[in-house]
Amino acid sequence: MDLKGLSGGQYKPLSDDGITTIHKAAITILEKTGMTFESGLDDTLTMLESAGAWVDRTQGRIRFPGKLIEEQVKKAPNRVILYSRDGKNNLDLTENRVYLGTGGAAIKVLDLETGKPRATTLHDIYQIGRLVDRLNHIHFYLRPCIPTDISESDYDINMFYACLNATTKHVMSGVNNEAGLHQIVDLASMIAGDKSLLQKRPFISIITSFAISPLKLCTQSTRIMQEANRLKIPVALSAAPMSGSTSPMTMAGTLAQLHAEQLAGICICQLTQAGAPILYGGIPGMANLKTMGYLGGAVECGMMNAAIHQLAHHIGVPNYNSSGLTDSKVPDAQAGWEKAMTTLLTAMGGSNYVHHAAGMLESMLAVAYEQYVIDDEIIGMCCKVLDGIKVDPDHLALDVIDSIGPGGNFMTSEHTMKYMRKEYFPGNGVSDSRSRDKWEKDGGLDARERARKLAKRILSEAPTSHISEEMDRSIRNRFKILLKTA
Amino acid sequence: MNTFQPIIDALLDLDKQRVITLVRDALNNQVSAKDILNQGLIAGMDVVGERMEKEDMFIPEVLQAAQIMGAAVEILKPLLGEDSASANGRVVIGTVKGDLHDIGKNLVSMMIKSAGLEVHDLGVDISPERFVEAIKSKDAKILCMSALLTTTMPMMKRTIDALTESGMRNTVKVMVGGAPVTQNFAREIGADAYAPDAGSAAKAAKAMVQP
Ligand code: B12
Repeated sequence: MDLKGLSGGQYKPLSDDGITTIHKAAITILEKTGMTFESGLDDTLTMLESAGAWVDRTQGRIRFPGKLIEEQVKKAPNRVILYSRDGKNNLDLTENRVYLGTGGAAIKVLDLETGKPRATTLHDIYQIGRLVDRLNHIHFYLRPCIPTDISESDYDINMFYACLNATTKHVMSGVNNEAGLHQIVDLASMIAGDKSLLQKRPFISIITSFAISPLKLCTQSTRIMQEANRLKIPVALSAAPMSGSTSPMTMAGTLAQLHAEQLAGICICQLTQAGAPILYGGIPGMANLKTMGYLGGAVECGMMNAAIHQLAHHIGVPNYNSSGLTDSKVPDAQAGWEKAMTTLLTAMGGSNYVHHAAGMLESMLAVAYEQYVIDDEIIGMCCKVLDGIKVDPDHLALDVIDSIGPGGNFMTSEHTMKYMRKEYFPGNGVSDSRSRDKWEKDGGLDARERARKLAKRILSEAPTSHISEEMDRSIRNRFKILLKTA
Repeated sequence: MNTFQPIIDALLDLDKQRVITLVRDALNNQVSAKDILNQGLIAGMDVVGERMEKEDMFIPEVLQAAQIMGAAVEILKPLLGEDSASANGRVVIGTVKGDLHDIGKNLVSMMIKSAGLEVHDLGVDISPERFVEAIKSKDAKILCMSALLTTTMPMMKRTIDALTESGMRNTVKVMVGGAPVTQNFAREIGADAYAPDAGSAAKAAKAMVQP
């Protein structure tokens, strides 16, 4: 069952009035309060100043005239297509079309054998990628964890290589610096044939946390973002405030501040390269006010992330956001309800590119193999909801009802045969609906154990390299590739 | 009843006016500023710290308690003599180079301050050289480093190395923390202490300076 790119938008946490009020509030924030910056952004400041922004270098403030913002935001494309390499999982990001996938930069993974947390490795990025390649409802592969077993200077190229080897789905990740960005663009260009082919059908894209909430530009990430604009590689403008610590306690206040941060970021991108493909990247989160830790599983995160799509849609830019985070440490019932709630709300909101939707645990700090299997099921179900209930003569089945008649049954009807594989969500096998007897005979496994079995089964198959042998040799000749496959 | 209990209670009620009035009354009654600080305000913040650890209190309330304590300390300061807090030990704290996460570090900094130590918070993205410089110029006895990224954790080791090179390693205690940091890691890089949260960080810092 193909359930990607379906239309959301059924859930609208903000009224039309609410949307325009927040948009205006964000412009007020940018005109009056402005953004601050760290040292090292001189060129960006000069660029903004000559475009009409008010820059106060001694106070460290950039104030943006509303007119400048509105002008620049108009230049951002309202449709960005992120490609897969086999063409089967292209992500056509526009309107209310919904795609969901992995995310994060976790540092712990629950080991598939022991079930216990351990440090994440480069091999985990590859193995999780193989799993994702086979899970149909996970639509893209965003580097899920950090390769803590290799040196930092080798991160960028090796993370992308491991992802691209493992799956043909679209690959996204952050990079450490501009040099890393150039390296991975070179790598992807080799695979594409050349750079212009990559720019035409970008099967990789970049995330930059350009803003440190509240309202501060991060030098390194802003520079990476601008360089990606110049290279015409799609970039997600990540900003992730937590209500109560790095944004106001209230949802409306958090959304207004975050929208302001996004507008400023988009303005910088479009001044850098008019028409640059970008994703509005608001990730509203919440602080646990008893520890100030990150609360990912809160139902309000689902509500606010749905609102993010409305705000992005209002300015005509596709969005990137989050769902499926949980504060649970293991794939348990809490993880289940937190993920299902936030993913359903975010999908029904019409969010275009929802990351973190698969695999995450422990408030963003951990991932688990079996969780990808469980989340594939949750995402599939959420997308099924978007598919809605079709009402046409054939689906109404009046003739069938009449021919079967009162007191009959529908088990052997042609109509049942025709729709039994289409009308209902089939699942990937992790949901158990058998009798207690059969379930007990099979070991009485709970969802986590069943998911582990499925994950192990997929990973025990012979791996397919999605980079040809010849290409692999050229890549390994040119770059320091550390992944050992097969 | 402990003579200082009313101050402690007022602090726990987050009643700034009452704390200030009680502190002034105590001073008028010839109670020593040092006792008001140690047995009243700091004792009150110890309770706040415990409640924070048990998650019985919201952090914004903890922060408010710390602010109230700060305001009361301002009244006591002229009477405390030069180095009341610094006698307890000066602390230099910061997030290591390359790392911009500061929410956890700020909490730790605030709780150590509330425990009665003099804290110099250098901010984020602090190089080993800057840490060493600050320790020298402030004559600090404790160095606290925060790191939230696996990529910046090695900076903690480098800062400790720089401290050793400067010849000050033996006179300075080093405490580290941050989500990816563990007790084991702290031991490996030769730090003296690790704490998983702000409450225990303050306790550990206090223990380090206790004679
Ligand atoms: C908020 C946050 C941000 C905010 C930071 C805002 C700010 N002003 O600090 C923003 C959005 C800016 C951000 C940016 C980035 N982040 Co970040 N971030 C987080 C997040 C969600 C929460 C951190 C936090 O504030 N926690 C709340 C505080 C209260 O807890 P804490 O910091 O752990 O502190 C407590 C204890 O650890 C301890 N403690 C802390 N310091 C010290 C010091 C001492 C001496 C002691 C004793 C104790 C102690 O006490 C504290 C209080 O109890 C974490 C995930 C997580 N759940 O931890 C990711 C996380 C740390 N970030 C991550 C990443 C990848 C990034 C970016 C690289 C993103 C990117 N792709 O560009 C950038 C890096 C920027 C940089 N150069 O530093 C990864 C780290 C992966 C890794 N390599 O290790 C994490 C784990 C998220 C993830 N899985 O994706 N981030």
